[in-house]
Amino acid sequence: MGQKHREKMPQPLSLHLEDNLASLRAAADKRSDMVIRSFHVPTVNQMEYALVYIEGLVDLTSINESLLRPLMSVLSVHDGDSAERFAAIQNCASAAGPTVIVEDMESLWQQIMQGDTVILAQGYRQAVASGTSGGEWRSIAEPTTQNVIRGPKEAFTESLRTNTSMISRRLKSPNLRIQNKIIGEQTQTSVSVLYLEGIADDSVVHEIQRRLDRIQIDGILEGGYIEELIGDAALSPFPTMFNTERPDAVTAGLLEGQIAIVVDGSPFVLLAPVTFFAFFESSEDYYQRFYIASFLRLLRFGAFFISLLLPSLYIAVTTYHQEMLPTTLLVSLVAQREGVPLPALIEAFLMEITFEVLREAGVRMPKAIGSAISIVGALVLGQAAVEAGLISAAMVIIVSFTAISNFVIPSPNLSVTVGLIRFTMMLLGGTLGLYGVMVGLMLLCIHLASLRSFGVPYLMPVAPLIWSNLKDVFIRFPLWSMRTRPDGIAGKNRIRQKKTLKPQPPQPNPGKE
Amino acid sequence: MHEKISAGQLASIVILFQIGSSSLFLLASEAKHDAWISVAIAMVLGMGMLLFVTIPIQSRAPHSDLMEMLTRYFGKYLGFIVGLAYIGYFIYKSVRNVREFGDLVILYLLPGTPLDIVMIVLLAVGAYAIIQGIEVFFRVGQLMLPWLLLIYILLFGLMLISGLVDLKKLLPLFERGWIPVWKAAVPEVISFPFGEMIVFLIFWKHVVRFSDIKKFTLIPYTFSGLFIVLTNMLIIAVLGDLSGAYVIPFMFGTSLIEIGGFLERMDPFVSLLLFGGVFFKQATYYLAAVLAAAELFKVTRHIVVVPVGAVIFVGAKMFKSYMEQIQLGFEHNLKFHFPIFQIVLPIILLLVMVINHGFKRKKEKRQLDAPSNE
Repeated sequence: MGQKHREKMPQPLSLHLEDNLASLRAAADKRSDMVIRSFHVPTVNQMEYALVYIEGLVDLTSINESLLRPLMSVLSVHDGDSAERFAAIQNCASAAGPTVIVEDMESLWQQIMQGDTVILAQGYRQAVASGTSGGEWRSIAEPTTQNVIRGPKEAFTESLRTNTSMISRRLKSPNLRIQNKIIGEQTQTSVSVLYLEGIADDSVVHEIQRRLDRIQIDGILEGGYIEELIGDAALSPFPTMFNTERPDAVTAGLLEGQIAIVVDGSPFVLLAPVTFFAFFESSEDYYQRFYIASFLRLLRFGAFFISLLLPSLYIAVTTYHQEMLPTTLLVSLVAQREGVPLPALIEAFLMEITFEVLREAGVRMPKAIGSAISIVGALVLGQAAVEAGLISAAMVIIVSFTAISNFVIPSPNLSVTVGLIRFTMMLLGGTLGLYGVMVGLMLLCIHLASLRSFGVPYLMPVAPLIWSNLKDVFIRFPLWSMRTRPDGIAGKNRIRQKKTLKPQPPQPNPGKE
Repeated sequence: MHEKISAGQLASIVILFQIGSSSLFLLASEAKHDAWISVAIAMVLGMGMLLFVTIPIQSRAPHSDLMEMLTRYFGKYLGFIVGLAYIGYFIYKSVRNVREFGDLVILYLLPGTPLDIVMIVLLAVGAYAIIQGIEVFFRVGQLMLPWLLLIYILLFGLMLISGLVDLKKLLPLFERGWIPVWKAAVPEVISFPFGEMIVFLIFWKHVVRFSDIKKFTLIPYTFSGLFIVLTNMLIIAVLGDLSGAYVIPFMFGTSLIEIGGFLERMDPFVSLLLFGGVFFKQATYYLAAVLAAAELFKVTRHIVVVPVGAVIFVGAKMFKSYMEQIQLGFEHNLKFHFPIFQIVLPIILLLVMVINHGFKRKKEKRQLDAPSNE
């Protein structure tokens, strides 16, 4: 359908205002939010004019005060020829916003849909579109998914321009490039690609542009569409693009040579290329002292492994390798499991699924009945199930600890992936014991090692090993020791800072005694 | 299809491949408590092989792998036959690792599970890695190496702390003289694990910079050799002359660890080491066999992965028992069969190369000289 649309020749504007308005009305048939304001100015030759815009997409005060009023007053005293008059119209339109001259119906529509006001006049094959876009957006609020204790508290909104402005306010470099694209045959969504010239790798920038240009789809409603359509490893459960709602995180990414993709209508901005370890980083790591940040990061990696492996290890050990447990622990576990009718694998599966249901319910449920879930979840499903002898208490502890560990991973989309893989691990642990868990881990490693994000190996600073990049993976080195941008992601400009940034006590001046 | 291996990745796989499972066992157990000396001797001899035969072969044909060299220097037909024999050798090596691992898993971890399933799963993981390509396989090696070394260091430390190590058990040195020590080393320990470096003739051509090969093979080789010597010493220092009696002496040694009443049962870590080590060794041979077969039969790699895996599986099933496998390996293969592939054939290949190059140089010289004579 889209293809056919493209091949059609654009319909040029007619000389007669009435014809143009008629075809506009026909195109906007049953579209009640289109406003056509006709007026005529009583000058020598009695000209007819019309303003066309979509209500709600435009800023009405700016139309009335900055566009219509000066337009009328200028035109009423104007007595030049038709070319001069058109220039006068364009001049007036500039007062309200940037202007574009359109010559066919199709681009006229595009401008109107972007919130422009189009000025049509009798006797011209051209029309002037004036940038009057406005309307209501959600205001800037605190982040809801990526919270920090210390650090900026603002998050992106749904407006593309607000979002890019939040980034450029933080990054005043003249090298910041913001390139716009319109994607989506029906939705005509604006998508901006942001990068720092010289710091981002040119070939990656081209690759992203190329992949974006490839997209032919009816609509883009969220960055997720873009991610799924241009990301690498289409069949992998692991995300190969990072998304964040924090402008400071995007700015930090741009400074490291990443490329940001902002999609109109989505408060989540995509960053690429990305490595696996980026999903363990929080903006706050750089705002706290490096000891604390490093400790927290190690904690997250620990939580990742717990969240991935704990249930499967529990199943494997209690089912196949009881001899590995210390005797007292074994005795107490056996005593607990005595009345439980289910094998450990089924028991763990039930509990894990219950937890996933609870979590999903917690996300989707109306906020007003949110407190009910904690009662149902904690009391009924946890305590009562244990007391009724359906589940062992140890299993409840395991599942709860797993769940809490899962929330420590700062990136929500990775933590869901981990949840998925956990089930596979549990199956392997329940069928092949520790051997199965090891096989699962090995498969996971092979899979992760095979992934790439826009040409960058997913496990980059570790495999392939790049020593200098390891400063910011498991342990965050002090800021003054990270002199260079990450190797392999950043382009030509590598040096971040001067060599001598380590704070030192002032040198005693030998001249003065 | 230009897959590239970095020097660091080559080094990781060399270490993983050399250590493999060999550090868990007592090599050269006939030498009793002098076994570690035998291992050290074998290591030096193996190094000699590497330095004077294997690496010179590669440096004479930097951009070809073993199969290309064989067909080039031995002629089309003889080269094909020798190449086929090498594929068989790689497969057989993989077979031994798979079977050994399967038996040990059943012995220590999963007594009730059928052997077939354990082996199929192991081969499936290997096949998955191989399908992803050389680059990914070597990258996984780089990823896993630090963890395996960390576990080894942890276990060594725990053994030391819990006071199991008694260095007096290593004395007296050369109790029965030089001969048994030498006899234990040659050719058994050279064949396994030190002579096995021959397999890298398949991989070296993929290394990014050819000049790195020597350094990044020899240093890891020395490291892993010393590491094996060290673990051998440790096993003897913990278990004494009896260590030869255990199937996995290292596993038994670690099971003695007990600190403060709660740090005990380190067996899962040892099985992790066993899995990691055997996986890489097995998969390296599997990959080598696949690459060699793809090169020899001029087909794409993906076509060969499953057939080669199936052959390995069937081969692993042929042994009647673990004991038969061990006996065949240590009594016959190490002494008679493996040296053919690890020592005899490479030396012949090198000689042919040297002679060939000599001829060529003379010919070139003559051709160069000819115009000037006119």
